[in-house]
Amino acid sequence: MTETDGSPLVTRGLTKRFRGGQVAVDSVDLEVPAGSVFGFLGPNGSGKTTTIRMVLGLIAPTSGEVQLLGQPMPKASLRVLPHVGALVEGPAFYPFWSGQANLLRFDAADRTADPRTRKARAGEALERVGLSNAAGKKVRAYSLGMKQRLAIAVALMQRRDLLVLDEPTNGLDPQGTREVRNLIRELADDGTTIFTSTHLLAEVEQVCTHAAVMSRGRLIRQSSMTELRAELRPRLIVRTPDVTKAAETLQSLGVTDLRTVGETVEGDAGDLPIDKFAAGLVAADVRIHGFGLERPSLEEAFVALTGEGFDVAE
Amino acid sequence: MGAAQRSRRWLVPVTAVAVVAGVGTLGPVVADASPKLPEISAQELLAKVQTAKVDGLSGTVHSSADLGLPALPGVTGGDSGSASGQLTEFLSGEHTARVAFAAPDKARVSVLDNMAERVLTTDGKSAWAYDSAKREAVKLQVPEHKSGKPEKLPQSYDPQAVAKQFLAAIDPSTKVDVSGTEKVAGRDAYKLRLTPKTDQTTVGSVTLAVDSKTYVPLQVTVLPRTGKDPAVEIGFTEVSFAVPAANTFTFTPPKGVEVTQPKAPTTRPDVPKSLPGKPDTAKKPDIKKPGTAANEPTVIGEGWSSVVMIKGVKLSGDGGPVDQFLAGAKSVEGSWGKGKIVTSKMVNALITDDGRVFAGLVTAQTLQDAAAKAPR
Amino acid sequence: MSPSSAVAEAAIARPSAGRHTLALFKSELQLVFGRVRTWVLLGVLAAVPVLIGVAIKLSGAEGGAEGFLGQIAGNGLFLIVASLGLSLPFFLPTAVTVISGESLAGESSLGTLRNLLTAPAGRSRLLAAKMVALAIFCLAATLTIWVAGLIVGFILFPVGDVLLLSGSTISLGEGLLRALAIAVVIALSLLGLAGIGLFVSSLTSTPLAAMAATFGTFIVLGIMSAIPQIDVIHPWLLMYGWTSFADLLRDPPYWDAIGRNLLLQAGYLAVFYAAAWARITSRDIV
Repeated sequence: MTETDGSPLVTRGLTKRFRGGQVAVDSVDLEVPAGSVFGFLGPNGSGKTTTIRMVLGLIAPTSGEVQLLGQPMPKASLRVLPHVGALVEGPAFYPFWSGQANLLRFDAADRTADPRTRKARAGEALERVGLSNAAGKKVRAYSLGMKQRLAIAVALMQRRDLLVLDEPTNGLDPQGTREVRNLIRELADDGTTIFTSTHLLAEVEQVCTHAAVMSRGRLIRQSSMTELRAELRPRLIVRTPDVTKAAETLQSLGVTDLRTVGETVEGDAGDLPIDKFAAGLVAADVRIHGFGLERPSLEEAFVALTGEGFDVAE
Repeated sequence: MGAAQRSRRWLVPVTAVAVVAGVGTLGPVVADASPKLPEISAQELLAKVQTAKVDGLSGTVHSSADLGLPALPGVTGGDSGSASGQLTEFLSGEHTARVAFAAPDKARVSVLDNMAERVLTTDGKSAWAYDSAKREAVKLQVPEHKSGKPEKLPQSYDPQAVAKQFLAAIDPSTKVDVSGTEKVAGRDAYKLRLTPKTDQTTVGSVTLAVDSKTYVPLQVTVLPRTGKDPAVEIGFTEVSFAVPAANTFTFTPPKGVEVTQPKAPTTRPDVPKSLPGKPDTAKKPDIKKPGTAANEPTVIGEGWSSVVMIKGVKLSGDGGPVDQFLAGAKSVEGSWGKGKIVTSKMVNALITDDGRVFAGLVTAQTLQDAAAKAPR
Repeated sequence: MSPSSAVAEAAIARPSAGRHTLALFKSELQLVFGRVRTWVLLGVLAAVPVLIGVAIKLSGAEGGAEGFLGQIAGNGLFLIVASLGLSLPFFLPTAVTVISGESLAGESSLGTLRNLLTAPAGRSRLLAAKMVALAIFCLAATLTIWVAGLIVGFILFPVGDVLLLSGSTISLGEGLLRALAIAVVIALSLLGLAGIGLFVSSLTSTPLAAMAATFGTFIVLGIMSAIPQIDVIHPWLLMYGWTSFADLLRDPPYWDAIGRNLLLQAGYLAVFYAAAWARITSRDIV
């Protein structure tokens, strides 16, 4: 049995070329493990939303395929999508209707949804996102944060096997962001697989079990957070005027991947005890201005991967 | 779903266009497939047509005429109440009328106008003309000679009468044959074709569709010598040979309708003359142009090449639409003098400078020949 | 059992709890009739018989005008027929244009089309629901005029037996039924235009553009209908048989032209609905 078998979301060579010839998504192979909270990372304009649209059957891939809950998309849309909650590119509602009326309409569009429990389920979903008090208010009067929550409530109208959330914390204040994060954790604890795109690393670090990184339409990395963190090995940093001598000494002591930048020598110390290096440098008459271990942040790692800052558009 | 697969979806609307267009244009053709009928000679058919007798019928008659007449402002939009106005009206465009007839003297014709209706009905004792647009009813007196040929009144505007007029005109100048069969108003019919032997006329052929059971002509089609589209086509789209109920022909002036009763006794109800669908070749040229003071017309020649001459026509010199129209017409001259010739698909006319008008379903040359022979 | 087969089974299992295909159609009606705009349109249509009725009452015109207008003073029932007839060339098409132009382009511009499709509504079913709602709006529009004409006609004018075009008379009850049939026939006459509007609406994400384009098409067809030189194609134009509704006031009703008109409308509807379907099922929803 390959790992693909249990995955609720798999893409193979997924590619979208827009009419102008611009390639928005280039041969993406995603594999979201069942039960994971999967962070889909990338700067704005890196092809995340286009990928999500193809996953949900909103736009047709130029080539490649999507398997959603084990079924081919968009062919199986009507069978599969009732089990997938989705929030795509910002909240969209009928402004002249109340939040509750909006929920009822989108639920009515799903023919598998039971009309007898519709109102009750809408009530629960509104409560879960903290909108019970605003349920009867026209969406026109909602703030962006409230609309964002209402959009999440749409995804929560039914018990879902997979939630696809595109930037779910967009427009939320810190308090709202925290609430959404907690909600995601709760849902994940219930066994729902969550695929959430974001350009905020903090979100990924705090809730995700897996992550993938998009850059300029390509998927450049995907793995579990545990794996990612393990790769972020601490580096030994030595600041010294005698860089050559220091590098030689450290190499002899077993430090690999040595680099010299200005008056700094750094390298991978592995699991070797750090005090041994200090003693060795002193013994080799290396003048030490600074000495220590540094653990790189996730952000630095991703910047290294994508070659660009994270909040940069285009 | 690939792009090719998606663009294939557009085949559905394209097919829909094809189907709709196909049903719209080919549907009637398919429905008019030729039925299989026993052979019959033209002579037998003619005889049967002339002795055809029905006790009553009702149905819907559709007429369409495209004589290629120029659309003269003031002619088509003119006084629809006058006989000539109505005649020109029915010489262009399409009209539908409901007709009913019961032997010997009951008849009703309702011309179905757009959002209105003009009714002429007689139950043998009285006759009514009703115009729904004006909400006016006119009571006409029916002449007493009941025993005469009262059915002539109704028959003059049903295809049967039209056919008989054509048949009466048949002489050695015309080739008559049975050219096939067709379905008219859901009934199997023979096609009796009359083809003029002379090339002086603009008429290509006249075809009667004759019902194979009652031998009542159901349709008349006049084809011009050039072109394929009928110049005149009048026939039943729906017909029943059951005798209509007597109350079909009675008319009770409703409340709120103005009733007039002409005091001057009419020798015959002149109403039928103003009615539609008389592709009467002998009289067709008798279109009175507005603004003309026409004398009694004289007929020159006979048969298909008859030409009607009207003397003393004074064309309005006021720069009106008629003048503008004539300015564009071709000038001709001959031994008869000088004039302008107006040509159309079927009807040609020669207007001489000395105020005579020659017109007929004949070629322009025939008109000039007639003019040369005509008295001044 | 592998997790995937569990997922697949769950995916098949729940829909068997029952299919509620019509819920979307009902929701669509709520969307059309739950908007102020729709009621403003219907209000304008209801005002047509009111204005005509009051104008005739004030001017005291007794049978001056030809046609149905001239008959109102004598019989209030003709207010229904005259109002329907006078609304047909402009007011009714305008209302249909607004609602049909809004239908898909409105969802597109709000972004709610995404939510509906991921719900999932199904593109073909959503289109069908839009069309059904449009057809019901057409009917609601003509019935509004019927009801308003009935009320105003009965208040302002005497009513009684109804004079038909053929010169015979029918009872008031039958007259009302015939007027109702006229309302239905006119509603059906609007379906071709509704189909055009639906298609245009599927092309764009701007409702106003869809309305303008649909109305522009309507105007162009109207102008073509008025050019005698192209009378060959006149029988194919959308509004060629629109006035055939009056054939219901003949004795007996003359169905041929009405049938031809309805066939033509069905033809327009089939073509443009198919085009809208091709468009909506192949379109990238962004």
